Amino acid sequence: MDFALSEEHRLIQTTVREFAAKEIIPIAADLDHHPRFPAELIARAASLGLLGLTVPEEYGGAGLDGLANVIVQEELARASAGVQAIVTVQNSLVCDPILRFGTPEQRRRYLPRLASGEWLGCYCLTEPEAGSDAMALQTRAEWWDGRWLLNGRKLFVTNGLEAQLAIVYARSEPVPGARGISAFLVEKSFPGISVGRVEQKLGIKCSSTVEIVLEDCRVPAENLLGERGEGARVALSTLDGGRIGIAAQAVGIARACLEECVAYARTREQFGQPLKAFQAVQWALADMATRIDAARLLTYRAAWLRDRGERCTAEAAMAKLVASETAMWAAHRGVQLFGGYGYTQDYPVERYFRDAKITEIYEGTSEIQRLVISRHVLGRR
Amino acid sequence: MEIIVCLKQVVDPELPARDFAIDPVTRWQVREGRPLVISTYDENALEVGLQLKDRLGGKVTALTLGPAATSGDAIRLALAMGADQAVVVDDPQAPVRLGAAKARLLAAAVRRLGRFDLVLCGCESADWVERVVGPLLAEALQAACVTFVSRIEQVNGTLLVRRLADEGFHLVEVRPPAVLAVTSDESNRPRLPKVKDIMTARRKPVHTWPVEEVASQAGMEGPLEVEVREVTLPERTARCEFLSGDPGEQAAALAQRLRELKLL
Repeated sequence: MDFALSEEHRLIQTTVREFAAKEIIPIAADLDHHPRFPAELIARAASLGLLGLTVPEEYGGAGLDGLANVIVQEELARASAGVQAIVTVQNSLVCDPILRFGTPEQRRRYLPRLASGEWLGCYCLTEPEAGSDAMALQTRAEWWDGRWLLNGRKLFVTNGLEAQLAIVYARSEPVPGARGISAFLVEKSFPGISVGRVEQKLGIKCSSTVEIVLEDCRVPAENLLGERGEGARVALSTLDGGRIGIAAQAVGIARACLEECVAYARTREQFGQPLKAFQAVQWALADMATRIDAARLLTYRAAWLRDRGERCTAEAAMAKLVASETAMWAAHRGVQLFGGYGYTQDYPVERYFRDAKITEIYEGTSEIQRLVISRHVLGRR
Repeated sequence: MEIIVCLKQVVDPELPARDFAIDPVTRWQVREGRPLVISTYDENALEVGLQLKDRLGGKVTALTLGPAATSGDAIRLALAMGADQAVVVDDPQAPVRLGAAKARLLAAAVRRLGRFDLVLCGCESADWVERVVGPLLAEALQAACVTFVSRIEQVNGTLLVRRLADEGFHLVEVRPPAVLAVTSDESNRPRLPKVKDIMTARRKPVHTWPVEEVASQAGMEGPLEVEVREVTLPERTARCEFLSGDPGEQAAALAQRLRELKLL
């Protein structure tokens, strides 16, 4: 067992850390206070190859492994969880399923555009009546006159406002549950797809979260992603990778929080001594560092398993569960450590507090992660 | 254009002062456990070299003198940024050599590489700040030398080099082969490598030459010629001075004090 990062992984880490320090952190608070899509920043991320991290070189990607992906995501999230959300959706929820389940023609058509940043993608699974119970989705896909007709509404779609491509899950077979679902590659230019309500959110504000409306949306036969009726397999496999990306996001938020707290504890004085001299503060920081390390190691392990082609559903769920709860806990402690200042926008801990919460919710709530893990423990894998 | 860029690896100068330490036995800066980076101005030199290659074509070779065991990150970064090949003169004693000896070894390595148009290096290293390697390297190679170079342009087959001066800059016409010691400038801010290029850097050639071979070519066999006897940390003292008088008098006194301290 080797815990050391390779030379490449280390260099990727320092490169993205430098990119984040110079180009994201200076505008991160402003992107939160005045929410907007950071188009220039995303273009710059694309030019560095961050929008097609695991896409092979032949499709214009960087050809990295999943471990490199989580290293990148942690560094981005440490700077801005909102910016990272945009990037991780592109990598884990859009490029990854096309790479795993797409036909050669689908890969050739979409991956170069996504990896170069020419197109953004989004992932449409959740519906008004199908959140945690995602397989109860009601969006219909009907075969009509040589093409698919999609009808339904999708909720909480990250990047939905800017995306040119949507991966949409719909019920193509007249059976309930997972067996009747298919996945489709829907271009925004196809007739019948539109953006509905734009959500106002607690955190990750610079990434859009929207409703996608499908009204007799016409999708060519060749845009079926994976086999007909096998959409659940596409969705669940994709979520394994997505959850690892969110775990890395949570580790990044938690680390940002720890670093702010350490700096504050060194300089802030109360009762005639710096905060770092108080044992209660020392222990809080020690707990934060320990939990973050544990979360990171679980995240690395899940990415490593996936890179080896092994099943990692439970491990990805464990990583996301521990990392997201660590981020929320660290942000909660961080705001408390900063006291009144922590409640203001003068310091970034209040942003971490708001950003951290989503990691316990999207791509499966903590409750769903526990359900997944318990099935693994109890033998219903 | 054949361009060789000399890159020195130093302990990250951005580290907080508390991480700076001197080994009481060897009397040298402690490197273990500290991140090593390419010396600041050397990275500017690399950027200048890569921009020249982008404009004029040719080849950029990254040359470093240092322990091969710890040179990997610097070499990988240089190759990922766009250098075509790298040469490591494997010298475990490099961190304890001063500029004059380094210049002689680098000159021998440059000669071994063969023909060159430009050798680029930083105008000073981030640790020793001797500012001698560029000029001594030029002397050893019998090449032209310009220091504090901020920009290079090619006009009608000759190189026009902008050199920083006290009250502005000099424009110097240079005919290769030349050694240019580069300073930082808005135009030569080091590029970030693309992540794809980080991965493909492994495919580029890296040559490792034992320092004994290079030293022999430089006529430098035997022990170090210069030994540093002692290195000490500067003592930092802080003093607070209150200026009296009305605001106008205080401002005048403050300006006077700043002038005395050569800060204005």
